[in-house]
Amino acid sequence: MANLQHIRRRIKSVKNIQKITNAMDMIARSRFNAAREALLKNLPYVDKTREIMRRVMGQMRGQEYEHPFIKTREDLIAEQQEGAGKFLFIVIASDKGLAGSFSSNVLKEAHDTIEYDGTSENTSLDDDGEEENFHKKNFDALKGIKPTAKRTPKQQRQMTATGGIAKATGRSSGTKTSSGGGEVREYHDADYIEGIELITVGRKATTHFKQRGYNIIKSYHGISERPQYKYAKKITDLVMERFASGEIIDVTLIYTQFKSAISCAPDDVTLLPIVTDDYVKSSANLKEEYIYEPDVVSILNDFLPRRIATRIYGAMLHSAASELSSRMNAMSNATDNAQELVGRLNLFYNKVRQAGITNEINEIVGGANALE
Amino acid sequence: MATILLEVATPDKGEVYKNDINMLITRSICGELGILPKHANLLTELIPHAMRIKEGGGETQLFVSGGFMEVTPEKITILADAAETPDDIDVDRAKDAYKRAEERVTAYKQSKSSEEIDIDRAEAALARAKARLLVKGVHMG
Repeated sequence: MANLQHIRRRIKSVKNIQKITNAMDMIARSRFNAAREALLKNLPYVDKTREIMRRVMGQMRGQEYEHPFIKTREDLIAEQQEGAGKFLFIVIASDKGLAGSFSSNVLKEAHDTIEYDGTSENTSLDDDGEEENFHKKNFDALKGIKPTAKRTPKQQRQMTATGGIAKATGRSSGTKTSSGGGEVREYHDADYIEGIELITVGRKATTHFKQRGYNIIKSYHGISERPQYKYAKKITDLVMERFASGEIIDVTLIYTQFKSAISCAPDDVTLLPIVTDDYVKSSANLKEEYIYEPDVVSILNDFLPRRIATRIYGAMLHSAASELSSRMNAMSNATDNAQELVGRLNLFYNKVRQAGITNEINEIVGGANALE
Repeated sequence: MATILLEVATPDKGEVYKNDINMLITRSICGELGILPKHANLLTELIPHAMRIKEGGGETQLFVSGGFMEVTPEKITILADAAETPDDIDVDRAKDAYKRAEERVTAYKQSKSSEEIDIDRAEAALARAKARLLVKGVHMG
């Protein structure tokens, strides 16, 4: 027979847990409201940056400028086939757990993206325009390309004036044809991991990838719930620096996209290089060309990092809102479950108590009968 | 009088300013610019300064801490890291920032090769504080 005191103790501990989860729910709720506010406030800026980006890209294409960060789809595929380099991934997760499957979802997405082999479905959410994952979308052409650390950078990607942009002078025709049509990529081998660099936001992402031996070049902790623009800027500076060095050929951002308080899904987008084709489709082209002051190189050198910082900041805000809404849901579920458990335990407690009383009466009656 | 739409957006506060205006006087890295309606398409980078906005006969000021400006004949879009109307500016804070930045700049100039001071950052901070104070009508050195 179950011990009454034992059950009482259990009920009490469940009630205590319920109090804690309820408090966490309320904390998450108020923080979530702040995070959603921040996200909504950021949207006009993001939209405007994207609009300008579209218009500029629309013109760039007409002009056939060559900038190391901006390529047409064909050029980019050709370049990546020619010389492989490292891949850089930025993974945005959370600092703390207790948010349901939030962290594991985004980390799973990160693994799917990092180890993409064309077999699983392309999970990149937005395939309209620039929000795509370039690598996944063009996987057929890029199948043979492995991220590798062994690449010797052919040339530094120049960010400084005149070096970077020149009127396209007919690409060198020595583009090798794809050598690895049927090659299968091997993951988890040391070579592959060496060819990958990671920037992580959130302690969960850092520990996860550290355990698996990935090369984390920088991690940011303590900012996942309340992102600030200056951190996005710092990440951007690092990304630009790494990309400009020529070692990195592909920068992908993995984060959780916030859709509503009950729905969010991990997403991955390619930040660099920038593919012009995608912008042109949807752009409302200007009839006349821009006047660039002082000149197109300086403007792009200022504008591209701004655009990337905006996207990273946007992703951080999305991720924060998603994290808090996941935590909110997880905690309110936990509170509900605790409530149900307390109810069942109470019922059980009463049953056991009643059984004890009945038993005692039986014994007394039995004893009295035996005396007669 | 012809007007042009001015929109100022920042990453943290969204749309800070949106209005039809008559003229915008702003400072880009190349110098001062006056933008009137039907201006040609233009892309430029702004330095930290106080913009002057002329609308309906009056003139207002708006502080931007550097940013990016796109002009089309109908619309001016400014993407700024931060933008503040005179009411939002905290004079004491700006003064403190000004003093701190000034100290760092003078310290840099005296020691010449001091590695610890990021002169670019200090000068940018100084310019920001100066522009903020200018919006409030406070002139420093």
